[in-house]
Amino acid sequence: MLMNKKQSLVSWTVLILLTLLSVYIGKVFDQPAIFITCVLLIVFLKGQQIVDVFMELKHAPKRWRLLIMSYVLLVPFVLLIIYIL
Amino acid sequence: MLPEYILMNNQVLVSELNKKLPGDIAMWFFILAELTVFALFFIGFAVTEQLNQEMFALGKAKLHAGAGLVNTIALITSSLFVAFAVTAVKSKKFKQSVQWLIIAQCFAVVYLVVKGWEYQSLFAQGIDIETNTFFTLYFLITLFHFMHVLLGMVILAYIMVRTNKGDYQQDVAGFESGACYWHMVDMLWIILFPLIYVI
Repeated sequence: MLMNKKQSLVSWTVLILLTLLSVYIGKVFDQPAIFITCVLLIVFLKGQQIVDVFMELKHAPKRWRLLIMSYVLLVPFVLLIIYIL
Repeated sequence: MLPEYILMNNQVLVSELNKKLPGDIAMWFFILAELTVFALFFIGFAVTEQLNQEMFALGKAKLHAGAGLVNTIALITSSLFVAFAVTAVKSKKFKQSVQWLIIAQCFAVVYLVVKGWEYQSLFAQGIDIETNTFFTLYFLITLFHFMHVLLGMVILAYIMVRTNKGDYQQDVAGFESGACYWHMVDMLWIILFPLIYVI
């Protein structure tokens, strides 16, 4: 399936906005736990955009998509555990 | 009910069989290996930070968060143009694909220049890889990523030359492999940026 240019552009906009948001929330939240959770959640959301849209794994065999998607979920999750505990 | 059930399952099976992994499978194993190495770096950095909180806070305060932000935007934008190039090559618009790749490379150069400037400004303050544990990890991880950006640029240049020669008329798997490698470089920076500059 051909990737839609418009879809890439939407993803790029989402990625830029999430990047700016991750920098901005550092100035909003005083509690490190909430701040770190939000930043790492944003990392997951950004990773998901890259995996599904830029890498086009949304249309790839399910196992491959899950494998790469698990990386952008597990790495931020492990980092969250390390920072919060 | 039974035939419908079977039909539905067959459709799911056929739809799953029609799904294709972009690029070459060998590239995906290479990408998985790279991701694993970086995951160990990220976890090592976070654990060391928890053990040396004051040192890491002081070290992070000396970094230029604005440079990190510019580099994030540069890599994301570069990935966008690589995605455009993939769409173009699949539509047999080879000239346009090469043009998108040139723009993508320009944004990669922005990354290299900004990162180079950042290293230079740290060296000017007398900071290097031996200053303390934070800067050892900072230079190791960011230089390792920097080398991956350079390799990604070489791969993009290679597929650009091959596109120009008309080598992707039939099969675009090689092109997709190069593009996916570049997106991996972008994805790693998306984890690296908050870890080093934001948190």
